[in-house]
Parts: sequence; C-alpha cells; structure tokens
Amino acid sequence: MTDLVLKNIGKTYPNGYQAIPSIDLSIEEGEFIVLVGPSGCGKSTLLRMVAGLETITQGDLLIKGNRVNEKEPADRDIAMVFQNYALYPHMTVRANMAYGLKNRGVPKEERDTKVNSVATMLGLEELLDRKPNQLSGGQRQRVAMGRAMVRDPKVFLFDEPLSNLDAKLRVQMRVEIRQLQRKLATTTLYVTHDQVEAMTLADRLVVLNKGKAEQIGTPMELYNKPASTFVAAFIGSPAMNLLDAEMTEVGIKLNESLVLPLSHDYRGKMIWGIRPEHLVASDEQNGDFALQVQAVESLGAETLIHGVLVGSQQTDGSAVPLVVRLSGPHLPDIGSHLWFTAPREDWHLFDANTQQRL
Amino acid sequence: MIENRPWLKLFSHFILIAGVLIVALPVWVALVGSTQSASSFADSVPLWFGDQGVQNWSHVLFHAAGSTLQIPVWHLLLNSMIMALGITFGKIAISMISAYAIVFFRFPFRSLIFWVIFITLMLPVEVRIVPTYQVIANLNMLNSYSGLILPMIASATATFLFRQCFMSMPGELVEAARIDGAGPIRFFFDILLPMSRTNIAAMFVIMFIYGWNQYLWPLIITTDDTYYTLVMSIKNMLSVPDGDIEWNNVMVTTLLAMIPPVAVVVGMQKLFVKGLVDAEK
Ligand SMILES: Nc1ncnc2c1ncn2[C@@H]1O[C@H](COP(=O)(O)OP(=O)(O)O)[C@@H](O)[C@H]1O
Ligand SMILES: [Mg+2]
Repeated sequence: MTDLVLKNIGKTYPNGYQAIPSIDLSIEEGEFIVLVGPSGCGKSTLLRMVAGLETITQGDLLIKGNRVNEKEPADRDIAMVFQNYALYPHMTVRANMAYGLKNRGVPKEERDTKVNSVATMLGLEELLDRKPNQLSGGQRQRVAMGRAMVRDPKVFLFDEPLSNLDAKLRVQMRVEIRQLQRKLATTTLYVTHDQVEAMTLADRLVVLNKGKAEQIGTPMELYNKPASTFVAAFIGSPAMNLLDAEMTEVGIKLNESLVLPLSHDYRGKMIWGIRPEHLVASDEQNGDFALQVQAVESLGAETLIHGVLVGSQQTDGSAVPLVVRLSGPHLPDIGSHLWFTAPREDWHLFDANTQQRL
Repeated sequence: MIENRPWLKLFSHFILIAGVLIVALPVWVALVGSTQSASSFADSVPLWFGDQGVQNWSHVLFHAAGSTLQIPVWHLLLNSMIMALGITFGKIAISMISAYAIVFFRFPFRSLIFWVIFITLMLPVEVRIVPTYQVIANLNMLNSYSGLILPMIASATATFLFRQCFMSMPGELVEAARIDGAGPIRFFFDILLPMSRTNIAAMFVIMFIYGWNQYLWPLIITTDDTYYTLVMSIKNMLSVPDGDIEWNNVMVTTLLAMIPPVAVVVGMQKLFVKGLVDAEK
C-alpha cells in the first residue's frame, strides 16, 4: 500500500524564489527513500513540506490516502530527526523522549513503558536521567532518534542526521539506522548530500538538482543507468569521467588532436562517460588509449590515478583529463604512460545539449 | 599571565584599597551615624559608633520614621517591596509575552508594532508623567498599590532584551516542539520559560532595583502616608521646616533602604551563575 504520495508538489518561497518547481513521488509502506543532491538543491525544503514545517504552495501531499496539506505537523503522524538534534536542553533524556507523548495526553505509565522499551532498543537505559549537555554527539543523535521512535509514527523524516558526527561514528550510525528501519518497517524519508550514505541506506533514491527530481530509482539503477550527466557525476566516487566528444566513423573524437579508435553506431556530438573503476589496465598492443600520470592516490585497497589522455594536448595547452581506479596498490611514476581499455558495455552516452542519457 | 613585580603589585593593591575606602566611607558614616543620638550631628559627622543603636533602630523600624513622618519604616519597606516586586513581575510577564508575540507569530504590522514599542524606549517616565498622572487620577488610582505599579509595568527595554533572547533560540528546537504537538501555550511554559531562566534572573535584578529606586512617581501620586515608599520618604525626612534634620533616623532608614536591593543582587547572583553553568542552547 502506498503510504506517502507527493502529487505535483512545488514550493515558491514568499520572496518569490521557486525552490521546487514540481515533484511527483509515491512511497510504499516501509520503504526507505533517500533524497540526495548538492547543497541548496531543495532537499530540506521538500522534507519540511512533508513535515508541515513549510507551507506547500502547489500540489497535494497524501499520507495513507488522506490529503494533509493543511494539517499541523503534530497531526500528520510523522516524526523528524534534525541535523542538530534539537533536544530540549532543560529536559532529561527521558522527558525529551516523552514530551510528544505527554502533549498527546498519553498516560504516565504508558509513556514510561514506551520510553523504556525504545531506550532499551537504542542502548540508552543508562542515560535516561541525564541532560543533553551531558551526552556525546553520538548519544544525542541516538536520543533524537529515540524521541522520533517512541511516538511510533507513520513516517520518519531525517534531515542530514549524521552530518555532525565524526566519520567513524557516521558509518556506525548509518548501519544502525538501516537495521532499525528494517526492524520497525516504518516508511522513511531521509535527506543527505552524501552519496555514499544515500547509496547504502536507500531502497530508492531521489536525486534532486535545482529542485527537480533528476532520477528516481534503486541505488543500482542509478549507478548502472544514470539518466543524466548530473546523476552520473553525482552517484559513484570518484565521479564518472564525462568527456565531450564526437562519435565518428573512425572512433571517438575527443578533440582536434585525438581520436580514440572505439566504434559505436551513434553519430554526432555527445558526452562520453565511463566510470574510473571500469577502465581496465592493458598494454601498448591491446590498449585503447594511453594515460599520462599526473597524480596518484594510494588508498591501499585501491589506487586512484589522475592523468591526461596522451595525444590530447592541444595548441592552447588543454588536454583531456581522466581518472582511473585500480584495485590493490600500484605505484606508477608521475609522467609515465599507462595503457587502458574501455569495455563497450560500461560506456554511458549522453546527449550533448540536453545532458540526458542516449 | 604570571607577573612577578612586587612594586606593581603594591601599587595596584594601593589603588584597589583606596577605591574600596572611597566607596565604603559613606556606608560606614551611615552605619555609625545610625547609632548616635540626634544631637551628635550638630557640629561634625561622627566617625565611630554611639550608644543609641538599638534604640534608634527599634524606634524607626517599629514606631515612626521621624517626627515629621509618623509611620514605622517596616510599613514603608512593605510598600516599597510591594511596588518593586509588582513592577518587576509585571514587567517580566508583559515584556515576555509581547516579545513572544513579536518573535514567534506572524501577524499584520508586526514590525511596525515592534518599532512602536522600541521607540517608547526613548520616552522615560519623567517625560510622560503629566498625562500618566491624569490617566491614573481619572481611574481613581491615586494612593493605591495599583497606581504605584501599573504605569511602570510596560518596558520596552525588557521587551527588546527578551526579543533578542527568543530570536537566538535555535529554529530547529521550535520546530521539534511543533512536531511534538506543543501548542503556543505549552511551548511558552514548557520550552521558552525554562530556557530563558537566566535572562529572567538578570531581568529580575535590573527591574527590581529600578522599581525599588522609583522616586518621582510615588512622590507625585501618594498623598496618604500609608502608601509612601521608602526611597521617597528619605527625601521627605530631609525636608523638615526649620532644618532640624534627625540624621540618626535618616541613617537607619537609608541603611534599611539599601538592604533589599543588595539582598536581591547577592541572592540572584548565585542563581544567575548556576543558570549560566548548566544552561545550554
Ligand atoms: N525561507 C526561505 N526563503 C527563501 N529562499 C529559501 C528559504 N529557505 C531556503 N531557501 C532557498 O531554497 C533553496 C533550497 O534550500 P534547501 O531546501 O534548504 O536546500 P538543501 O538541499 O541544502 O537542504 C536554496 O537556494 C535556499 O537559498
Ligand atoms: Mg538542508
């Protein structure tokens, strides 16, 4: 059953700025949806409209089939976890978690039972009588989640909940959020600008760009078939190599001085995309092209090689840059030439004008 | 910074001690003077204790402030206390509520209203004293506690300070409370009030002293000495017909007038510091 439906939802701020032109999305019960995009693309705006903290200026929002556009946040049966946790500083952890229940007139014993069971689930039993300023960042984060969970809402909303944690804790909490969400099976809308977080958490991803949904799909759909250059560049790290090129009879013409002997049926200007991890190390005889090494990033398990295509140097000094990702340690000399092949099945072609997938 | 220069140390201590002496001397004179007989002030200011201490204090406190003011000072203290506390609580309540409206609610002419309140900052009591008197007289509030308190109860300064305090509240917190189902009244009492307690304490100190020191207004609207306040009475005791001022009684009254503000400052200081230490926004 669909839980949450966004029909032609749009937002124009009172100052006339149109943050979101129009978005359609329908979310199944228990689904984990991640809204991802660069800063300022309208992720928070969209989430806050669902929460009821921002008015909806266009379209309909349905929760369990009921239109809730005009409902107060408290009446929408949603719970939200904020980036800065937003815990009430003068209340104990217990009071923080119970406050929403108290306002809804839930009797004391029931509140205590609920708070205790959620605290057990999150490992917060020891902290129930502390104030937020006596907690670490990770603990506050957990309390904020606990506060959302005790109410047992229809929808969880998260706005960049992990961005204030250190890298290690972030990974740990990410895994935990995913497990909790599976266990509770509560529909979740999660906002992040971090594509790794997005890929690992989401059942489905919504990639936002300037208020528009560029693509909606599972993480693997987005990785394997990005609908536009924006999605291609955003999903995957390091980003996909996107080269302006022209497909000709003799191969891919990158610029006046270099044509790669790779053939394709398409003819004309386009953007040729290939992920760094899909380039295969080869040798001078079998390789499709050579890369002149400019910088090497060794991460142990993998090595990133940044370079320019040999022969692409033009009179104005510009050359075509490319990134390659190899597994395991490699230590090529700076300036040396390495040969690679680009398997046909890993190519992504995009229209030069619309930036859409061909 | 660790300095080890004995002369500098000596010099700074000298300055500090001199400062303390200058500030403390009048208090000392008042304390000593309150134990003298009325005649000891005839030719010089006494600098050491006399033998009339208990007698002066009990007379002034329980019988009459002086020969011209036949009312015991405990009564004046009570009047002052009622006025000062009335003004303080009134100011805090009204300015918190108006700041609450200005910061958290969207209504037409919101900023105009704020500016109108703000502009009244520039109009002290003295400027509007004649019309205020007219209004209070028409309301039959001369010689009453409400007459003493009501005209002082609105405060642009406090409204402005509470506005600043409320505006520094994180927006996420306000939104979290909204999602938690806290309506305007609950939000005010459950979140805003406890979170502003350090500001309220500071405001209490400032406003109590302001209220306690009110002079001109009580002087104008009270003609019945059962509503006299302590501060205005001291002036009253000084303006005796033939210049025969009862300095010993004046000194007792002055010291008594100092005690409540000092007590408030000392008492609130603890709460203030405690509030600063465990409050976090
Ligand atoms: N209250 C507002 N009034 C006008 N413009 C706003 C307001 N809030 C956000 N915006 C604009 O809307 C766009 C989207 O903001 P937001 O949803 O916060 O982005 P993000 O994806 O980083 O969360 C931004 O360009 C921002 O400047
Ligand atoms: Mg945001």
